[in-house]
Amino acid sequence: PGTTPLYPSPMTPMTPITPATPASESSGIVPQLQNIVSTVNLGCKLDLKTIALRARNAEYNPKRFAAVIMRIREPRTTALIFSSGKMVCTGAKSEEQSRLAARKYARVVQKLGFPAKFLDFKIQNMVGSCDVKFPIRLEGLVLTHQQFSSYEPELFPGLIYRMIKPRIVLLIFVSGKVVLTGAKVRAEIYEAFENIYPILK
Amino acid sequence: MTGRVCRGCGGTDIELDAARGDAVCTGCGSVLEDNIIVSEVQFVENSGGGSSAVGQFVSLDGAGKTPTLGGGFHVNLGKESRAQTLQNGRRQIHHLGNQLQLNQHCLDTAFNFFKMAVSKHLTRGRKMAHVIAACLYLVCRTEGTPHMLLDLSDLLQVNVYVLGKTFLLLARELCINAPAIDPCLYIPRFAHLLEFGEKNHEVSMTALRLLQRMKRDWMHTGRRPSGLCGAALLVAARMHDFRRTVKEVISVVKVCESTLRKRLTEFEDTPTSQLTVDEFMKIDLEEECDPPSYTAGQRKLRLKQLEQVLSKKLEEVEGEISTYQDAIENELESSRPKAKGALANLTRDGSVEDTTSSVFGEDDAEDEELEAAASHLNKDFYQEILGSGLSSSSEGAGDPDGDTRPPALESLLGPLPTAASLGISDSIRECISSQSQDPTDACGDGELDLSGIDDLEIDRYILNEAEARVKAELWMRENAEYLREQREKEARIAKEKELGIYKEHKPKKSCKRREPIQASTAGEAIEKMLEQKKISSKINYSVLRDLNSKGGGGLQEEDAQPEGRTATRKLSRRKTPARRHRADPVTGVGKRLRPMVSAQPAKKAAAGEPLPLSPSTLGAEPARPTAVLVESGPVSYHPEDDPDEDDPDEDDGEPCVSALQMMGSGDYGCDGEEDDGY
Repeated sequence: PGTTPLYPSPMTPMTPITPATPASESSGIVPQLQNIVSTVNLGCKLDLKTIALRARNAEYNPKRFAAVIMRIREPRTTALIFSSGKMVCTGAKSEEQSRLAARKYARVVQKLGFPAKFLDFKIQNMVGSCDVKFPIRLEGLVLTHQQFSSYEPELFPGLIYRMIKPRIVLLIFVSGKVVLTGAKVRAEIYEAFENIYPILK
Repeated sequence: MTGRVCRGCGGTDIELDAARGDAVCTGCGSVLEDNIIVSEVQFVENSGGGSSAVGQFVSLDGAGKTPTLGGGFHVNLGKESRAQTLQNGRRQIHHLGNQLQLNQHCLDTAFNFFKMAVSKHLTRGRKMAHVIAACLYLVCRTEGTPHMLLDLSDLLQVNVYVLGKTFLLLARELCINAPAIDPCLYIPRFAHLLEFGEKNHEVSMTALRLLQRMKRDWMHTGRRPSGLCGAALLVAARMHDFRRTVKEVISVVKVCESTLRKRLTEFEDTPTSQLTVDEFMKIDLEEECDPPSYTAGQRKLRLKQLEQVLSKKLEEVEGEISTYQDAIENELESSRPKAKGALANLTRDGSVEDTTSSVFGEDDAEDEELEAAASHLNKDFYQEILGSGLSSSSEGAGDPDGDTRPPALESLLGPLPTAASLGISDSIRECISSQSQDPTDACGDGELDLSGIDDLEIDRYILNEAEARVKAELWMRENAEYLREQREKEARIAKEKELGIYKEHKPKKSCKRREPIQASTAGEAIEKMLEQKKISSKINYSVLRDLNSKGGGGLQEEDAQPEGRTATRKLSRRKTPARRHRADPVTGVGKRLRPMVSAQPAKKAAAGEPLPLSPSTLGAEPARPTAVLVESGPVSYHPEDDPDEDDPDEDDGEPCVSALQMMGSGDYGCDGEEDDGY
């Protein structure tokens, strides 16, 4: 999984290149990516007031938060643009889309008259979700995997499973839905799901 | 018998006289220890003739306080910060715990958790009250008391999720896995509050049975246990002819009415609800249900699938309708005469309806009748498409239509917005011109790659002049207050600058973390630490080094202890950091030493008094001479002392045994050894 390219074509879902373990059958389920958070450095100082007043899709409330919140429709994403020139882009559903969206935001900023560049694009977090299609007994899971699980029904209805390798946090719900977050690459999410699937069965 | 070896004759037969406080060798008669500190109880006579033991009550933790007769207001004066924190925490734990009616054992355990938390610096940056509450709740969970986090948040008036966050962090840091909450624990408590009188026990039993049934039906996973208890108690009460309303139950159980109703509905959905009261008490149904969220999810999936199937069918039906329409029109065409030219022209120009007629591939005018019929059938459909086409991208509009009627696309796209119609052509021109002024925009690495970005789309995101002005006005109005504050701030800074008293408030820099000391031996580490800390200029470093050069691990431990002793005699303030740092080099020597070193901070304040029971007296022998001399000069080096210490140490070769020895030999005989040495 470490050697897989970072930006595959968005059409084909990547399958992890792990050797098939004959003992366990692999689940036929592939987690879907729901959200990708990425950051990029536009490389120049920005005047947030100018951006906010001249862009159609920007909001800026300096009293509440010191950044311009800009949204574009395709791909449907939101960006936080700071005066230092750094930008956070969230809401994309794939790595390629996130990069495209970030470039679009940079283009808008460019057109507004700033010498924006596109430095150090990095994906910070990826969130995926899937459904195992059978109910999961959370109490049993917290008994067997005490050191990884945290289940507090008073606070949150799901079980929080912190996997060590790969370092992913999974939210497991009784209805069979699993949310995986904290990944930097797509393969980590797939690997984590393959790891947890036999535990849930 | 302590098993020590006499110095004079080497005999092992040493007699300890507790009354006189002596240790005498029976072989040669030499006094090995004098004035041994004894731990006997002494009695004094009261005025009434009775006798009472001499002594003071000292608190379990913390140091012995100076007795204040009738005072005690300045309890925290002259104490270390750590002791203050612990004492404060203890007080708060007791205060809160008493409100929850926790027993002493629980409170003590909670205080232990708190001590652990403080030692791991978990209280930093958090409200003490939150940490205390988290400790108490942890105890409640481990002991299995029926206290909810909600109770604690009620007492403290703090958001329960904030407390929960602190609690989760505490549990994780202390590596304590609290067992999962069992709703059965809460039943007795709530039943008592609901006042069932004599039948309390029966109702509780019924409620417990209901709960177990709910558990088997997967209703309790992921839910607040109190909600389930409420539902179970409500049903149990009704089963035993008690009229408990929903309002009464929710006031006791602390959940929302809708939650309770939902639980009741879910229970209703299970097959058990169909049993009568008697049947329920006797029979246990075998089958288990799926959790309600799972069934709800499955239902949603099924609904979605149904919708998809239906929509597909709808399309098919529409397709059928349109084919029928075509067929009908063809028939009519062939059967009716062509429309006149004038009418045809009229019908061709104009509105939406015309495009629909052209869609059918008929350039000729049709009968108005037929046209009306066709337009009526298709009006909604096409208006929808055209309406959506105006707002969203053109491809989306074309798609549902494009498959069946390819030639329709251009006509449909006709009325879509252009740059001119949107009125942003000016801004485009402006942007293009500004772009030409910045030639460096799109080349070189790190520069923006424009492939795949549609410029038109980007331009849509930029306002034109008029719009920008309007937005600016609105924004100024919204943020007038903030702008005013900014201006005032700048004015203030400018004035201060003129006056020359401008203090730049830099954001707080986190304190520089000292680099951890890198040393190969404990002695080296001690040296470096002393240099860093600059505890005393009076320490003779050459002596230190010499001490280090002799012997192995045993001596190094003693080195740690002399430093400890010298430091002890200094200002109490410095003790804590000194002790802390000492822990680092010493850990390299032996784990065994750690408990002693860490115990020392707890005994800080008592350092001034003699420490009869302190294990740190192991290093007392070389230290005692220093204790006497520290005020006047450097550590005095007694070469004759060291060989004596060396022998027992080097004989063993293992630090563990030597420490035991030292502890065994050194506890009550410090002075004696010292005298011998001299």
